Amino acid sequence: MSTYLNSYRRRIDDAFFIWREEMKNVFKDEGVLIFFIIVPLIYPLLYSWVYNNETVHDVPVAVVDQSHTALSRQFIRMCDASADVKVAYYAQDLDEAKSLVSRQLVKGIYLIPSDFETNVYRMQQGVISVYCDMSLMLTYKAIFQTAQLVSMQMGAGIQTKLGQHFTSRDEAIAARPLDYAEVPIFNPQGGYGSFVLPGVLILIFQQTLVLGIGMSAGTARERNRYKQLIPVTRPYRNVFRIVFGKSLCYLMIYTLMGAWLVIAVPRLFHFPQLATWQSLLILMIPYTLACVFFGMVVSCLVKYRENVMLLMVFVSVPLLFMTGVSWPQSNIPGFWQGVSWVFPSTFGVRAYVRLNSMGATISDVSTEIHLLWLHAFLYFWLACVVYGYQIYLARHDAFWRYREMLKKRAKAA
Amino acid sequence: MVVFPLLTMVFFTSLMDDGLPTSMPVGVVDLDNTSTSRSLVQRLDAFQMTRVVAHYPSVSEARRDIQENEIYAFLYIPKGTTENLMAGRQPKISFYYSYTTLASGALLMKDLKTISTLGSAAVGQATMRAKGFTDAQIQTFLQPIRLDVHQIANPWISYNSYLSTMLVPGMIMLFIFLISAYSLGTELKFGTSKQWLEKADNRIFVALAGKFLPQTIIWLALVYGYEYYVFYVLHFPHLGSPWMLVLLGLMQVLGAQGFGIFAFGLMPSLRMSMSVCSLWAVLSFSMVGSAFPVMGMDGALQSLSWLFPLRHYYMIYQISVFNGYPLLEAWFHFAALAAFTLLPWLVIRKIKNAMLTYVYIP
Repeated sequence: MSTYLNSYRRRIDDAFFIWREEMKNVFKDEGVLIFFIIVPLIYPLLYSWVYNNETVHDVPVAVVDQSHTALSRQFIRMCDASADVKVAYYAQDLDEAKSLVSRQLVKGIYLIPSDFETNVYRMQQGVISVYCDMSLMLTYKAIFQTAQLVSMQMGAGIQTKLGQHFTSRDEAIAARPLDYAEVPIFNPQGGYGSFVLPGVLILIFQQTLVLGIGMSAGTARERNRYKQLIPVTRPYRNVFRIVFGKSLCYLMIYTLMGAWLVIAVPRLFHFPQLATWQSLLILMIPYTLACVFFGMVVSCLVKYRENVMLLMVFVSVPLLFMTGVSWPQSNIPGFWQGVSWVFPSTFGVRAYVRLNSMGATISDVSTEIHLLWLHAFLYFWLACVVYGYQIYLARHDAFWRYREMLKKRAKAA
Repeated sequence: MVVFPLLTMVFFTSLMDDGLPTSMPVGVVDLDNTSTSRSLVQRLDAFQMTRVVAHYPSVSEARRDIQENEIYAFLYIPKGTTENLMAGRQPKISFYYSYTTLASGALLMKDLKTISTLGSAAVGQATMRAKGFTDAQIQTFLQPIRLDVHQIANPWISYNSYLSTMLVPGMIMLFIFLISAYSLGTELKFGTSKQWLEKADNRIFVALAGKFLPQTIIWLALVYGYEYYVFYVLHFPHLGSPWMLVLLGLMQVLGAQGFGIFAFGLMPSLRMSMSVCSLWAVLSFSMVGSAFPVMGMDGALQSLSWLFPLRHYYMIYQISVFNGYPLLEAWFHFAALAAFTLLPWLVIRKIKNAMLTYVYIP
């Protein structure tokens, strides 16, 4: 055997030894197991369940009908017939309706004044007052848009009656000379789940991975006799072997979890899925690598494993906002945009949403993918640096302990 | 302990400084290219929320730019629109908007719809003027039924006052959960639990009170500081009295501490209780129902949402602070928060037992 081959084999053996140890640690430690396996399995299901109904239908409203005419009743009927609003109560006056709102029985009030029909037929504008409880955006939207739609439709009906037209086509043109079509694309029903969930899935991926790595590093530290992250034994001598061995372990677990999160869950709950498996693969490889190395860097920087938890749980909600999923990216202040570039999830979520929900091609998200590769590269080297420092610390301490021991022995002798 | 919540406050209030997203990028595919279509585009650009950033020669190029996240929506004006409009042949324009971001999608849809309706109305107005009607008559004809919309308590429809009032208290509660479990767990971890109990003459109640009272004061200071900042410096809308805010802050802190201690009592291990607390807290951001309302969820989930302190906090806030209704209307949620405060009572013996006998296993 040549020395070269020997050392080459040795390296691989060492890396695999570390990989095996890490695997054992992961499956022995219930804390790590929760974050690596249980949370990624359960959380998406829970979230999907929460948002599965996608939109709110039949928002209850109260009607105060002081007009009591055919026209006012038509308005109420048409609102009730719409998908989004349900007329739940008829109130005598505004005060009664208000008390219904305060008891959370209804989310809004339609008030039709007594002169409503008279005004309309007298060629004056009939006014309908809409009072919305503004504590929920979606119910406000439903109540307001329904009233708007109904009033426009009734208005068009009144116009055509007034307009002395010959044919129905004439009437249609007079009511609406310029026709328009509104086309919501990529999430046609405007569902809440289809909008927020893809981002959440990708974020869960990163957060659980980082939490899990942090936990396992914390456990390793606490199990170690001298509170060191790295043992001083033979295989843990080389930085690259450690980083390769450990990351291989995490990578194996998260290949499975990644497939579950980005392929199985959206399919189970029928969320939009336009991306092909090739493009998902092209995205997920750099994303997984970036997350793994990012997690390893974080795990070295934080001393107690509980602090990893504090840190990561704390950033998870802001991170979701910084990806631009729930707040438009163009309106995020520059400073926070800069901060968000530190985290792989920012680019991962953006690229995934566009690939998966918007049917973009790989070339459309090439910037994000390149940045993810850059992240993977940078965090890999950073991980090597911090692990190198940990090795240095471990050996430094070991050296001094050895010296102390020698002294004591000399004294004893 | 103090730094993280402060950071969150700054983050959310500065992130949504404008209240509503303004000047969102929008594209235009104007194949008609006449003075009429151009004026339509100019008027669209003048809206507060939209900013026309690009003109495209075809729909597919505009779509690609949506996919590249350059624009959020675009207006398509086909060739011959003006011509058909003049001839009374009812041309059709379309607007496409991406609903992958719900907020921007809904807002842009509103703007684009308004501009299309206005375009329609302008034509009708011109025709009727020519026939000699007065402006009041024209307005009545074009819009026989007018809506008079009252956005109670939040007339600016500011998103900031929605999200910041739920997310930041939620984050603070998350921290209270975690720190409560953490401070009990570390006693075990560093083996100081017996000394801690001895100081209190082995009376667990005194020990707990002594441990958590200083924390309560710090949390209260944080919460009140936040409430003052949000409601009196940033002037978020609130109709309830300041005393209601004080009471709500107190209930929020106590309820969250109660939950944290209870979680530790159930599982007297630092790591497990913290994991449970953090998972519960993160889930409560969805179950609170401020973005997607609880009434839109499945029935089982609606009942489950009662198990989340944040949900009760949010309901009290919404009823008594935001809308200013009397506390009586929110009594159930108030009672629930009080129950969360008393939860540790159930496990207090277990905590004592754990403190005296358990050995920390890493």
